[in-house]
Amino acid sequence: MIVDRIINWARLKSPWIIHFNSGACNACDIEVLAALTPRYDVERFGVQLKGSPRHADVLVCSGPVTIQQRERLITIYEQMMEPKFVIAVGTCACSAGVFNGCYCVEGGVDTAIPVNAYIPGCPVKPEAIIDGVVKLLGSLKD
Amino acid sequence: MGLALFYILIFPGFLFLGFLSLAFEFIDRKLYARLQNRVGPPWYQPLADLIKLAAKETVVPREAESRLFRAIPSFAMAATAAAFLYIPIWGKTSLFPFDSDLIVILYFLTIPTLTFFLAGWFSSSLYAEIGCIRAMTQFFAYEVPLYMSLLGPAMLAGTWSVSGITEFYSSNPALALCNLPGLIVAVFATQGKLERVPFDIPDAETEIVGGTFTEYSGRFLALFRMTIDAELVVASALIAAVFLPFFIPASPVFGFILFLIKVFIVVFLLALMRTALARLRIDQMVGFCWRILAPLSLLQVLIDLLVRGVLVS
Repeated sequence: MIVDRIINWARLKSPWIIHFNSGACNACDIEVLAALTPRYDVERFGVQLKGSPRHADVLVCSGPVTIQQRERLITIYEQMMEPKFVIAVGTCACSAGVFNGCYCVEGGVDTAIPVNAYIPGCPVKPEAIIDGVVKLLGSLKD
Repeated sequence: MGLALFYILIFPGFLFLGFLSLAFEFIDRKLYARLQNRVGPPWYQPLADLIKLAAKETVVPREAESRLFRAIPSFAMAATAAAFLYIPIWGKTSLFPFDSDLIVILYFLTIPTLTFFLAGWFSSSLYAEIGCIRAMTQFFAYEVPLYMSLLGPAMLAGTWSVSGITEFYSSNPALALCNLPGLIVAVFATQGKLERVPFDIPDAETEIVGGTFTEYSGRFLALFRMTIDAELVVASALIAAVFLPFFIPASPVFGFILFLIKVFIVVFLLALMRTALARLRIDQMVGFCWRILAPLSLLQVLIDLLVRGVLVS
């Protein structure tokens, strides 16, 4: 269907992101912010940072999921509109990293919500985040 | 009947205005990017955003007033599109000129701000309510200087019709230079009306999530974004018609090209302001509007009164 193809094209060209810290040490958050600066210019790919989960398409999630943040993470995820995607940024978000087994940590982001793309690194480089977003979009093409 | 529908739906109504507003959103964002020394979005970016939002799931919060929540975006878009009908596009006169259409355009341009307030209020969300009250506070600050800055040129021209004002100044181009303070005020006030940096206090995403539009999603958000883009075009075209009425040729084609160039100049000024300035606090914004913009627009009225006195005598 031509309409479906146009809609899919529009989705690939305009991924709006929202950034959520589910218990990270802040290093990955700083790298996410660095990726949004004019130096990396992610607006070339149509990426915009949105404040409200209702506006965003991609949830960029950093850090291991702590027991406290788990409910909040799920609430934010549920407030997003379909179709929605989740990117786990950093080793902690992928697998809880060094915090794995910690008394207050549940595990990686995928223990709370479904994750579409994992970007390992401690902290991840902005280039790696952009690469991950582009790869996620590439996987949505078909 | 058929012709009226053509005017409303195709040219210069919804379709044409939609096309123009997407084009100028792209120009604005590209200018913003280039001024920040980066590449910026590709040309289809506003269209892709619009289609994506329109195709996305749309949710009305349970707490929200459902019917108004759905209806308000259409009101905003309709008011902006109606204002566009009274602005000269290809020459000195608009499609339906009548006496005092300047006031009507200003009223139509007021309606989107009121709908932003209502949209935030009926969302019944904390952030949206803070945003909508800020929008209203800001509205009372910039609206008076904006009206007064447009009052000056109208007084000098001796007419309330945009077409009459354009006609007057294009036959006496030197007199348009008297309106320089008014142009400055109008550009600042337009920035406030469009809720862009430095006056993006109502939807300050670093403080209050998404501001007025926090709860809006999908096609309603798409309509609001279209409205703001269309408002950018309409307000810039109004400023161009009132303050930059130069070199209007008789041929409609060249007139239209000149119209685009003038709107581009105003959009460039707005984009420059957006790049160079940072967000103000709401009290600083109100103070700026009442202490600087309002006296400046009064000065504009005074200049125009004096010049008119000299012309008449």
